[in-house]
Amino acid sequence: MEWQERITRETPPSIRIEHELRYALAAPLIRAAGTWLDLGCGAGVAAAAALEGDGPARAVLVDASADALGEAARDVAAGEAVPVEADLASDAGLAAVRAVLGDARNGCATCFEVIEHLESFIGVVELLVELAVERAFTVVLSVPNDAFWPVESPWHTTMWGEGSFEELRRLLPSEHVVAHQLPLQGSSIVPQGTPALAAPGFVVREDAVPSHLVAAFGPRCTEVVARSSVAHADLAAQRRWERTREANLAFYEDRIQWAQGEFRAWRDYLNELEGKLGLPPTTAPLDFP
Amino acid sequence: MRVAFVVNDLQMSGGVGVVVEHARQLAGRHGFEVDLVLARDQEEPSWRFPGLGDVPVHGMDRARSGDYDVAVATWWETVGPALELPAGRHAYFVQSLEDRFYRPHEAQRLAAALTHDVPLHVITEARWIAETLEALAPARRCLLVRNGIAKDVFASPAAPPVRGEEPLRILVEGDPEVWFKGVPEALAATRSMSAPHVVTAVTPRGRALDGVDVALGPLSQRELAATYGEADVVLKLSRVEGMSGPPLEGFHMGATCVITGVTGHEEYVVHGENGLVVDWDDVRGAARALDLLARDHALLHRLRWGALATAKGWPSWEQQGAVMAAALRAIARRPPRPSGPFDARLLAELRGGIEGHALVAAERDLLRWRLAPMLAVDRALERPAVRWLSRPARRTWGAARRRVKR
Repeated sequence: MEWQERITRETPPSIRIEHELRYALAAPLIRAAGTWLDLGCGAGVAAAAALEGDGPARAVLVDASADALGEAARDVAAGEAVPVEADLASDAGLAAVRAVLGDARNGCATCFEVIEHLESFIGVVELLVELAVERAFTVVLSVPNDAFWPVESPWHTTMWGEGSFEELRRLLPSEHVVAHQLPLQGSSIVPQGTPALAAPGFVVREDAVPSHLVAAFGPRCTEVVARSSVAHADLAAQRRWERTREANLAFYEDRIQWAQGEFRAWRDYLNELEGKLGLPPTTAPLDFP
Repeated sequence: MRVAFVVNDLQMSGGVGVVVEHARQLAGRHGFEVDLVLARDQEEPSWRFPGLGDVPVHGMDRARSGDYDVAVATWWETVGPALELPAGRHAYFVQSLEDRFYRPHEAQRLAAALTHDVPLHVITEARWIAETLEALAPARRCLLVRNGIAKDVFASPAAPPVRGEEPLRILVEGDPEVWFKGVPEALAATRSMSAPHVVTAVTPRGRALDGVDVALGPLSQRELAATYGEADVVLKLSRVEGMSGPPLEGFHMGATCVITGVTGHEEYVVHGENGLVVDWDDVRGAARALDLLARDHALLHRLRWGALATAKGWPSWEQQGAVMAAALRAIARRPPRPSGPFDARLLAELRGGIEGHALVAAERDLLRWRLAPMLAVDRALERPAVRWLSRPARRTWGAARRRVKR
């Protein structure tokens, strides 16, 4: 199974739309904020697409990966982009974020698909509540509904679903908005020579199961309104992505086999030398776990 | 952060087990200083509870000289003692609405209900408890910390085995002497089955019970997990539960469940997806559900598959320890609860309770008035002379008396 934890230009289009929609939901709040804090910004692909070149005066971009931060600082539209490399599960990481924020007020904070990656999410939740309550930030966060399937991602250290989200919701300020991100499926028929429908309607299900759970809190949380994003499936990109993935997988499996063969040959040679020197043969396992 | 969990005792009941696990998680993984405080008056215990790790156990005398950030009551009888402890905030970890553990005529029922009106910050383990307490006192905002599962102990198989023609393996868990656990009803349902089956009962004393093929207990958690692993279905016909852990533990080991619509089941049981929900007082219905599972192997496998998937989505104790830590830190930051609305609620509850008990007292008085002539005859018959004269009639009189009293 393929786990797409960091959104890049190679991410499947359907997953990119999902991420872009979350940033699009917060985009009006981000643009109006003096300071925007994006926790777990990754490479900034989804945020850059959602902001469409119109960002805030100052963006504080936080991630554990320096490479991703570099891309985000380059691509996300903002008067000033401040990258912060930090582990959000650690006190030091959170202190670094607080230091960069300084005394910023009336800002916006986004924290999409971050909490489930952290060994301890207490500090991040406390930081976001503190920003909302004490510094008038409006916060938008999301977690995946992993428990529904249940998805056992090797990158997720905690399991989130509607029950866990309810626990989180009760830790937030009493004034908050909860939203469900619902996947869409569809198809469209376009006679040749006619324009495609720009915004087709869709059949609403009352019992639709969310793929993600979203919460907004802070002074402007009620400005978070329903929003959908529909795009023609980019099958060419999808096919390219899948072929690339399959090719990469096959290539690296071959390389691993080659490396193991080489390793075995070296081990045999090493053991032969050890035998000549009267030493016990090295027997550490050859195979990967 | 210093936290005291006040418990009545350390008998390993489900409720105490939950508190102990939270204490261990908070101390071991979140840097909390946690004390377990025994509310019942006793000497400072010199022993350490097995499995507690570094969590100390104190009596009230020592705890009264403590300095806690949060003191947490964990059972209705511990609310008073928790309030005696010096702490920045006092909280109540409500694992069930404990008044329901007692029948209507029992005085503890009112006392337990009254504790819900004390203006404490509340942490609960199930959404139905939070919603009920918030409906009773709308100003209250409960925190929610569901029970985790020891994923290393209740280690799930990759998939449940497809069963063949062997009898359905049913596991019944609970104390048969606790009226709301529904163990006799569960065993009556298995006795009403027509399909072949094997019943294993896990009870506190491992008593042999009518209709039970294998009687076990008490069991360690690992032994319990192994026992669930050998079962196809956990049968739970409880009337009162906070969250009802046993079926969820069974889910982790690949067993489905047949369960009443008891409070807390809605946290994880979905009828027809991972278990079957049966009606109250419907022993025949429960028996038919079990017969269905015994005969429809595809349905049984689908439900067991669903149960295992539910289990995989359930959080671990490590995750829930973090949620408890966040909840306690949130309580430490929140202002104390204003008592005004709670006082009014408490007084209303007290008045309702007293009126209820007045009815019980009135019924008792009426009964006493009805029995008065009989008691007078009794007293007369006790006189030595009358006693000697009435000897032949005493047996008939005794039988009549017993019938009336019944």
